Amino acid sequence: MRAEVEEIMSQVAVETLEKLAFLFAFPGEDDGSQPWDPMTTVRVSFSGPFSGFLAMTVSIGVIEELTANMLGLDDGEDATENQSSDALKEAMNVICGNLLPAIFGNEVIIDIGVPEVLSPDQETEKGAEIPGGLEPSAKVKLELDEGQCVLFLFLDAGIPEDVVSP
Amino acid sequence: MAINILIVDDSGVMRSMILKTLRMTGVPLGDIHQAGNGREGLDILEEQWIDLAIVDINMPVMTGEEMIDRMHENPEMKEIPVIVISTEGSKARIDRLEHMGVAFVHKPFTAEIVRDTINRILGLGEHDESRS
Repeated sequence: MRAEVEEIMSQVAVETLEKLAFLFAFPGEDDGSQPWDPMTTVRVSFSGPFSGFLAMTVSIGVIEELTANMLGLDDGEDATENQSSDALKEAMNVICGNLLPAIFGNEVIIDIGVPEVLSPDQETEKGAEIPGGLEPSAKVKLELDEGQCVLFLFLDAGIPEDVVSP
Repeated sequence: MAINILIVDDSGVMRSMILKTLRMTGVPLGDIHQAGNGREGLDILEEQWIDLAIVDINMPVMTGEEMIDRMHENPEMKEIPVIVISTEGSKARIDRLEHMGVAFVHKPFTAEIVRDTINRILGLGEHDESRS
């Protein structure tokens, strides 16, 4: 069941990044052998029949490209820190908004919270784990030209048996 | 006819994306106003002539759903066409919005979907599009 959810997470994230910001990602292996780029983590909680949170740890290079593409910045034009944070949170919002119905179906009503970018002291050194040492219900890693993106899904009650496929 | 549009979204980046997309649609644009939540959106609607409101749902201070409810209670605002652009995935919530006469566009969106939705909700035809 976890593999099915991770497949859905991968598909949704790849499609969203492409449609939202013209970023082309593909699934990558997370065997721990490759060094991690400097990363930032964004997280959004959700509640309803299924509750938990979705977190995304993203390379700085990906955030820069994401922001530039979402804003339509010209070459050499830099985004502000606020714009980068806003772009990352909006990307998280769109991924989560598309992911939950893909997993649980569109008949359930799930409230999605406000995304938050975690401060550096909340992140682990490699950005590979979420504060608190929680084990994610599902996790996928994506590779992009600009770096990596890792998605972690935490479900309070774990993955349900009757998960809906897209 | 240039269309005055109000964009309501708590994300400044998303407002910029919507504005950029509007400029790609070929829709004749007039004044574009922006608000960061439903309360600010209502304030602008009270002060400005707006032909179309583009509204997010999940926002702090006042949600888009509450803003639309307030608009429908106000005789001066209830006829203003509304397009909701949101990540909302619940069929029940989307159905409720559509029963209120609101058009729904799911994020992420394309310029074609936004253009077609604007043309449909404003009753614009090919002739109007070509005037941009």
